[in-house]
Amino acid sequence: MSMLKGAEIFLKCLRAEGVHLVFGYPGGAIMPLYDALEGSGIRHILTRHEQGAVFAAEGHARATGAVGVAIATSGPGATNLVTGIADAKMDSVPLVCITGQVRSPLIGTDAFQETDVFGLTLSLTKWSRLVRSIDEIPAVIAEGFYWAREGRPGPVVIDIPTDFLKGKMEFSGPAKFSPKARPSDEKADAAFPDEVISLLSKAQKPVALIGAGAKLSGAVPELRRLLDDLNIPAFATVHGLGAVSPEAPYYLGMVGMHGTRAANMALHENDLLLVFGARLDDRVTGDPSRFAPNSKIVHFEIDPAQLDRVRQCELSVIGDLAQTIPAFHRKINNAKLPDWSDWRAVACGEDRAELDPRGLAQPTIRFLDELFGRLPNNSVILADVGQHQMWAAQRYRSDSPRGFITSGGLGSMGFALPAAVGVQLAKPDATVLCVSGDGGFQMNIQELATVRRLNLPIKMVIVDNKYLGMVRQWQQLFYQRNYAETDLSDNPDFVEIAKAYRISAERINEEVMQEFPVSQETADTLERFLHSSQPELLVFDCAPEANVYPMVPAGAALSEMLFEEE
Amino acid sequence: MNAFHIHYRNTQGTLMRILTAVSRRGIDIPYLHAAAADGVFRADLLLEVNAKQIGQLCRDWHAIVDVMNVRVGAPTPEMMENLASSFAAPHPPASATSSGRSASAAMA
Repeated sequence: MSMLKGAEIFLKCLRAEGVHLVFGYPGGAIMPLYDALEGSGIRHILTRHEQGAVFAAEGHARATGAVGVAIATSGPGATNLVTGIADAKMDSVPLVCITGQVRSPLIGTDAFQETDVFGLTLSLTKWSRLVRSIDEIPAVIAEGFYWAREGRPGPVVIDIPTDFLKGKMEFSGPAKFSPKARPSDEKADAAFPDEVISLLSKAQKPVALIGAGAKLSGAVPELRRLLDDLNIPAFATVHGLGAVSPEAPYYLGMVGMHGTRAANMALHENDLLLVFGARLDDRVTGDPSRFAPNSKIVHFEIDPAQLDRVRQCELSVIGDLAQTIPAFHRKINNAKLPDWSDWRAVACGEDRAELDPRGLAQPTIRFLDELFGRLPNNSVILADVGQHQMWAAQRYRSDSPRGFITSGGLGSMGFALPAAVGVQLAKPDATVLCVSGDGGFQMNIQELATVRRLNLPIKMVIVDNKYLGMVRQWQQLFYQRNYAETDLSDNPDFVEIAKAYRISAERINEEVMQEFPVSQETADTLERFLHSSQPELLVFDCAPEANVYPMVPAGAALSEMLFEEE
Repeated sequence: MNAFHIHYRNTQGTLMRILTAVSRRGIDIPYLHAAAADGVFRADLLLEVNAKQIGQLCRDWHAIVDVMNVRVGAPTPEMMENLASSFAAPHPPASATSSGRSASAAMA
């Protein structure tokens, strides 16, 4: 045993959890931890805002499946993490946020930079602790990392008063955490495969909906084998993209508010819906009262809290998809299932082309197609939040399960650029393409400094329509074109801003996408952009009033898609 | 009214997590009693909720890592009696406390 400072113990416990990379921003209460970083074996990435740190940690976690770690000081440092914590909760991202706190005797006195981060993140975290003594540090870290990873992953906050980081104690080694069993923990009944097969054998129009859970549980190979054998129409939520190969003949693309016509129609018309790891939120269901009106639902889900939220399931299969899918698959090999070829022909028919033909000619969609088509196989695409996000999701064609990363649940503008920092650090050999809008890019534009400092070869795209485009689209369609406070025509010159950060940048206009095929000059520009060894910014100037279609208006049924302004 | 009985480990914030699952839905909490029971802690709540909210609340509570068990039932006579007496109390509470000190004195 040796006498160590609390900060040193803290870092040793992080190492024991496998942490070698953290993102953060220093400040008064967390200074002792920063003081101990050198020689700890942990690399710290300085972002230029705490929100950048937490989104970068999320990006790292989303790209790898490992726990992301963000560090901030007390007060404003901690409150600046809150959006990222909420984002991780919504999208089931394993995240540990470490916040410094004022000295323990000052807690509750409204001391300088004191805030109740434990209280204000209670409803956003899966688990949290305010450390109450130096000797709690090993146990708190072990338990915090356990809950961040366990079951449905999620965010954890560990708030530590600065005096415990400075104090010393005998350290015998990191702690281990073993949870106590709960009498009410539910598990799938061993007979569930027979029940699902019984429902399938009576179904005439079965479909499969794939969510993020399939990817989080590492069940993608098992899921693909199952779907290949079932051969029923399948579609994915925005976070399920990449779980099913886009080449699969039964795959219909993304479902939901901006999903493909084929996917939305199949979700509306089916009579048996197999849900794999999706929570069926309002962007997927449309009007809940008219969601899949003729359907029985079988829900494979690890988190019982997600069941029966929209409608009572016919059957809930609670458990890790990595176990429940193979258990189910083993049984269907011997089952006699109906021939669904007629239904498949309808659901996957060419008359339900994934986008309206006019949509495919839309310059931004063509631009994204040109970019995505040039990406190497190991690429990761990040999309910020807004119209460009939905266009990118619609055009995503990779079969890489962790190849498309976006803030889908919370919809946090400003997510993509700092998250790309975390992704590029996790995957230094991958091409990381970060697609943002002109609104969202400015929300964390300061992270260009982080990109430059680390010389990360991130390929940044701004789809610049000089509007808060998605809000403007809603204003056009549902608020009689009252474009209240969405005009960004006074945007700064993003090319000049990038250059001020010593990042190479150029601009192209959407007119170059009206040539079929694109000119050699445009092709050269895109190739040069994607294959540079340096960070690059490409600003795509596009029409201010282009809309994302199809669109299911809020409160409408999935079958009531819009394909143009009515 | 439905009665909810939640057994939980009394770790930091667990009771607050139980209550925020209710408050985030804008549901009033007319009756709450929390105390040690059978080696763990038990929170009893009376809530005016519909069947869908019952399911959502039970699942949200179960997702709290230190909640052991959740039961739903009809209110006991003791709960209803306490509920009735709490409605009879002034709201907001009078500033004078039972010990006779004023609220402003307590804050000083």
